[in-house]
Amino acid sequence: MRILRAAQPILVLVVLVALLVGLTIIARLISGHAGFLVERQVVLVVWLSGLVIAGAVFATLVGRSIRRADSPSSRWLLVATALVLTSPLALSLLQHPSP
Amino acid sequence: MGMTWRRTIAGLMILAGLLTLGYVGISSYIAEQLVYETPKPIVRTPASLGLRFASVTFPSRDDHINLQGWFIPGVLPDGRLTVDRMIVAVHGTRQNRESPGDHLLELTAALARHGLGVLSFDMRGMGESPPAPLSMGALEQRDVLGAVDFLRRGTAPMPELGRPRIIGGLGISMGAATVLLAASQEPAIAAVVSDSAYAEVVPILEREIAKRSVAPIGRVPGVFAPSALVMARLLYGVDFFAARPVATVARIAPRPLFLIHGTADDYVPISNFLELNAVATSGQDAHVTTWIVPNARHAQAFKKTGAEYVTRVVAFFDAALGAAG
Repeated sequence: MRILRAAQPILVLVVLVALLVGLTIIARLISGHAGFLVERQVVLVVWLSGLVIAGAVFATLVGRSIRRADSPSSRWLLVATALVLTSPLALSLLQHPSP
Repeated sequence: MGMTWRRTIAGLMILAGLLTLGYVGISSYIAEQLVYETPKPIVRTPASLGLRFASVTFPSRDDHINLQGWFIPGVLPDGRLTVDRMIVAVHGTRQNRESPGDHLLELTAALARHGLGVLSFDMRGMGESPPAPLSMGALEQRDVLGAVDFLRRGTAPMPELGRPRIIGGLGISMGAATVLLAASQEPAIAAVVSDSAYAEVVPILEREIAKRSVAPIGRVPGVFAPSALVMARLLYGVDFFAARPVATVARIAPRPLFLIHGTADDYVPISNFLELNAVATSGQDAHVTTWIVPNARHAQAFKKTGAEYVTRVVAFFDAALGAAG
């Protein structure tokens, strides 16, 4: 049960990303009928505001999980969540090392 | 768990969250800038060069975007007009069918004066065609295919001249890459002239994104390039990774292909030409002609060589498409 609770942030992260991507695709499909100029703006607004909302939801959840984490395994799960969170940037940095 | 660990993990999470939010957010913004730019207005028409033409509208293949173009009949030595051989002429990125940057209007006029009819049009999102995302050929190849469909089955803009007997394609820069992609799947394009085409666009975009200044961010570090390309796909359905003429150019054979490239091209380096040529000539039935233009910068071979360019291109089309009827 403790492990599941500690895994909550990583699971929620996956759900939030899936939701955000899904919502953005729906926004693209709906606004596409109004022409690309509208679609372009709608998609960016939905995506960026979704990112901020998802970030706030995730931060709240992580805060709670950190307060409740009371075992080494839950602690390491949180560290793993942080690593997963940085993976997009880390993967890019691996491809583009600084000169 | 002790206070120190809690603080460490909280700090790690905040840092990871902020970095990722910033990275994804900025990449999304770059992607938005990448896929569209306000079209350049068209100032001149073929009439300004003394040619007869008809303004035409036709749909792209599959997604039916209404594209705007000029249907310019060829002029025979005795002054009669002909549409016996039609060339679909395709401009470069963020240009239009006038394309003053690479002098496409002057080139199409020169071809018309040598008896080659020309259908010159604005690709989606450019010139007077409707706004659409820029995909560097991946989607725009449908525009070229739409132009071919229009010439073969659309309403004839000048019915008294009949329909074309044969169709060729000519493109410059992104237009060249787009014609290569279209010709590899449409056998009705009987011959192709490709001037300054890229083998694949992603390496060029990655380099250009790193050079680019995006307001209000300023100069964009190269680390944003991969994610901006992924974001373009995710947010706008633009798959820049599909703009790879090198993957399909071999399918143009046995139809004749003329590859032109300038040695001083620093936008699409000549290595792209060498790569395309290597693949295009790999088949036993390949008919590839090449011309490396000394000291010509990107898409400037026509500007640099003028009459020689026209002579070579016309000779290629005469051999590939037959004489004007």
